[in-house]
Amino acid sequence: MSKKLAACLLAAALPLSAGAAPEAYTVDPYHSFPYFEADHFGFAWIRGRFDRMAGKFTIDTAARTGAVELTIQTTSVTTGDNERGVRPRSRDEHLRTPDFFNVAEFPSMSFLGKTTKWSGDAPAVIDGQLTLLGVTKPLTLTVIHWKCGPDPRTQGKRQMCGGNFAGSLRRSDFGMQFMVPAVGDEVKLWIGIEAFRN
Amino acid sequence: MKQFAIALVATTLPLAAAAQVESYNVDPYHTVMYWETDHLGFATMRGRFDKPTGKFAIDRAAKTATLEIVIETKTLSTGDPDRDARPRTRDEHLRTPDFFNVAEFPTMTYKSTGVKFQGDDLDVVEGNLTLLGVTKPVQLKIVRWKCGPDPRTQGKRYQCGGNATGTFKRSDFGMKFGIGPIGDDVTLWMSFYGFRQ
Repeated sequence: MSKKLAACLLAAALPLSAGAAPEAYTVDPYHSFPYFEADHFGFAWIRGRFDRMAGKFTIDTAARTGAVELTIQTTSVTTGDNERGVRPRSRDEHLRTPDFFNVAEFPSMSFLGKTTKWSGDAPAVIDGQLTLLGVTKPLTLTVIHWKCGPDPRTQGKRQMCGGNFAGSLRRSDFGMQFMVPAVGDEVKLWIGIEAFRN
Repeated sequence: MKQFAIALVATTLPLAAAAQVESYNVDPYHTVMYWETDHLGFATMRGRFDKPTGKFAIDRAAKTATLEIVIETKTLSTGDPDRDARPRTRDEHLRTPDFFNVAEFPTMTYKSTGVKFQGDDLDVVEGNLTLLGVTKPVQLKIVRWKCGPDPRTQGKRYQCGGNATGTFKRSDFGMKFGIGPIGDDVTLWMSFYGFRQ
């Protein structure tokens, strides 16, 4: 084999090996939750959570690329007020009506994004599109914590990644206009997420 | 007479100040205590307690206040209510003696011991948290605070509301299960409302 051919093969092989590095992960639904906060009449921020989120992502640390897909069941929204008491409905019931998440017509919301900035070996920014109430708009998530490594619960046999993301949106951009601005238009998002390598 | 008038004013003033104490009952529907802690160094896990009861009193002129909150530990939820193929859910595990031991300690309480104001607003609450039967000081930082007529009642009802944060080590209260993989440092975040009596 000539030296030139070997160099040529090496050059051709390098991008291939980098291309072979993407790893696919599946979101752990028991440790992955989106939370949200909105202003309530100018007095307090009220927080809520979606209990059901599924998703997957691919990540290539060498190439600094990644893509994520999350699907959130809107019916699973909870805010700590799920019992009516003497009222006609609880806040969680109200949030499921067409005034807010309209879960009968739109049972899921989804986010599709790609990593656009990295900080060393960790993704720093994910730019994507959020589809809520059938409306798709850009959403940027900032990665505020990120770690990949062996899962200590399996003596390291399973590889996992996890972290926390934050972002914000205007709910009126998605047509959710009920009681804006008494109930805040700006919604802060926070997502804690863990995922296992396939 | 002038001397008599001054004496009257002097004795009346403390009475007027004492009359400015306002009492509030906690609104259970908008008062929610969230906590968060590290999980294996990967993600932060959050949970919450629903529907606390409590009361607070505030004297804006004297810049004093008292606060008392009672939380039912069994109301905890972390978004994991269904077992699926597992022997128990995380919420069920959190109710065992490994964590909140809700059978033996159905409530946790927070009672203030003092407050600090920043201008006219409540800024810091010093107090004691009783968890698992252990009482230790925990400071609550008021990150948002507003009092005014409740717009939902055409201003007939007067309310105060806001948000507060705090931190503690769960091991200080004897909750030592899984420390290391599961964080010892716990961060509290709460929304609160109270209606004036």
